[in-house]
Amino acid sequence: MSTPLRLKELTNKEELLTGGHRLCAGCGAPIAVRQIFLALDVPVVASNATGCLEVSTTIYPYTAWKIPWIHSAFENAAATISGVEAMYKSLKRKGKIDRKIKFIAFGGDGGTYDIGLQSLSGAMERRHDIVYICYDNGAYMNTGIQRSSATPLGANTTTSPAGTVIPGKLQPRKNLTKIMAAHNIPYSAQASPHNWRDLMTKVRKAVEIDGPAFINIFAHCNRGWRTPTNTAIQDSRLAVETCFWPLYEYDNGRLTVNYKPKEKKPVTEFLKTQGRFKHLFRPGNEDLLREIQENVDREWNALLREEALQSSAESS
Amino acid sequence: MPGQLLMKGNEVMAEAAVRAGCRFYSGYPITPQNEIPEYLSWRLPEVGGVFIQAESELAAINMVYGASAAGVRAMTSSSSPGISLKQEGISFLAGAELPAVVANVQRGGPGLGNISGSQQDYFQSTKGGGHGDYRLLAYAPFNHQELWDLTMTAFDKADEYRNPVMILTDGVLGQMMEPFVPTEYVPPGLPPKDWVLDGCRGRPPRVIKTLYLGEGELERQNLKLQKKYQRMKEAEVLYETYMVDDADLVIVAFGIAARVSLSAVRLLRRRGRRAGLFRPVTLFPFPEREIGDLAEAGRRFLVVELNLGQMVEDVLLAVNGASEVRLYGRCGGSMMTPEEVVDAAERMESLDTRRRVRVSLK
Repeated sequence: MSTPLRLKELTNKEELLTGGHRLCAGCGAPIAVRQIFLALDVPVVASNATGCLEVSTTIYPYTAWKIPWIHSAFENAAATISGVEAMYKSLKRKGKIDRKIKFIAFGGDGGTYDIGLQSLSGAMERRHDIVYICYDNGAYMNTGIQRSSATPLGANTTTSPAGTVIPGKLQPRKNLTKIMAAHNIPYSAQASPHNWRDLMTKVRKAVEIDGPAFINIFAHCNRGWRTPTNTAIQDSRLAVETCFWPLYEYDNGRLTVNYKPKEKKPVTEFLKTQGRFKHLFRPGNEDLLREIQENVDREWNALLREEALQSSAESS
Repeated sequence: MPGQLLMKGNEVMAEAAVRAGCRFYSGYPITPQNEIPEYLSWRLPEVGGVFIQAESELAAINMVYGASAAGVRAMTSSSSPGISLKQEGISFLAGAELPAVVANVQRGGPGLGNISGSQQDYFQSTKGGGHGDYRLLAYAPFNHQELWDLTMTAFDKADEYRNPVMILTDGVLGQMMEPFVPTEYVPPGLPPKDWVLDGCRGRPPRVIKTLYLGEGELERQNLKLQKKYQRMKEAEVLYETYMVDDADLVIVAFGIAARVSLSAVRLLRRRGRRAGLFRPVTLFPFPEREIGDLAEAGRRFLVVELNLGQMVEDVLLAVNGASEVRLYGRCGGSMMTPEEVVDAAERMESLDTRRRVRVSLK
């Protein structure tokens, strides 16, 4: 019987990512990880790609993780956890272990969208029983805010510097959640920590299904986004309410858009909270702002259309 | 001094590359070299060049392969773990005889190690690094002036020999600021690149490849490469000596370890000990003849490096049993003080020297 998703019960649970780690004040990543662990009632083993979460939680001789945890390099969190999971299955087949253990890989957007995509794709295709969690803060924050393929169009980073020659990053984001769904895995989803109940429900589904699952979690970064340190949750909410970061899931191929704002806010409401988009509001960048809104609208409408089409196909 | 600039070591290499005509850079984030891609992300577009942040080190080095084949001066940079990932591409560059400049701002290893400066990639840089029989011309700058000058030289030599060139520096030099004189780049007057793949209209097509399947073909290609490395050995050895003439103990050190050793030599001299410094500037080709001559003349050697014994093997080969060689090595981001080097030198003096060849860590 799993713990009810109510704050009263959840706050009594033991935290598996303890305080005292050295992630920045107000960082979105540990909020997501703690919500994930609070959702779980089974023992887990985690692998972690190189990144802020890995470096800041495991500065030798300390660790903030109260679970078995493994790191090897940047590009291979999914491969490493594949090996661990395969060994567990082998021990289980031989009757040497009978406990139910679940396997989670954590990676940032650099280690997931970019250098880790190959090993992630391989793990998904081989159908390992793992959950891959990407905490997406939209740049290589650990090495000093370099652009990644998750960096939004127009964002100022140290390798897509906004100035007189270029207005920040010139390319739109890659849609990784859709790429994972295209692997036809049993479960893939997008979540945000401001909606903790939705996030934790998704984590439970991902862990309970047999086979690979992927969850992309919106992770605020005040250093990289140039915001105050106390706006992670409200900015995440704005990302969802502007449909910049829609909450949706593919559960055995079936798409559900989990949150539809009654009134969709303009994307500028989200962009203007962050210094990385400041230059977009200067004269001359109106076209870029329009393009960003158009991209958001197109992706959001495509999601709604896909969901509606699926329902009408089922009812006919 | 008038005309001096004060910059971070990483940015010195980046600007020197632009001045030397580098118009293509592809890289991937890794500490402690991030200032190179960050600088070039805005600087290269200013001069009509191309900056591309790759999705991995593998992509970065192979983009350099493509750009170099098209005839442009191309560069990548990384730090130790990232250079490991680039080894396949570097082997292909060497096999295809394509010029490129690769900067390694070394950090401690093995594995993830840490992000502090180190010299633990000496073997990797001087013995090939990837698969196959190949060598890189490897420069070991020891101050910002050399970071500037040798970066420019690296592009010239890469083109001259059609071979990848390694700038082997470290996190200390890469991260620190120091004044230097931004000397003008003077093109060396190299012959035109008659091998580039730039469209074959009006000329016979060209081939750049590393695959040789015909009987004896690959061996012939390897022998051709070896001749090139031999020419490097004859023409490209660079080194610097300090108070070696009357020394009976010579400290051999490169890069940042040589700066510490230079202070140690001064301290030793103040104590009346006849010590000197021999500093290889090229690690491949290694100044083996010069060190061999010093050994023949009776000098003893203390090798000081930020690893647990890599260049010392080349010193031993050069000395070839003619004198005593010892090692003082520190690693993993630890840095020796001049006093520690002095201690190592004095321990050596007090030791029984009847056993002439000896290597030890302390």
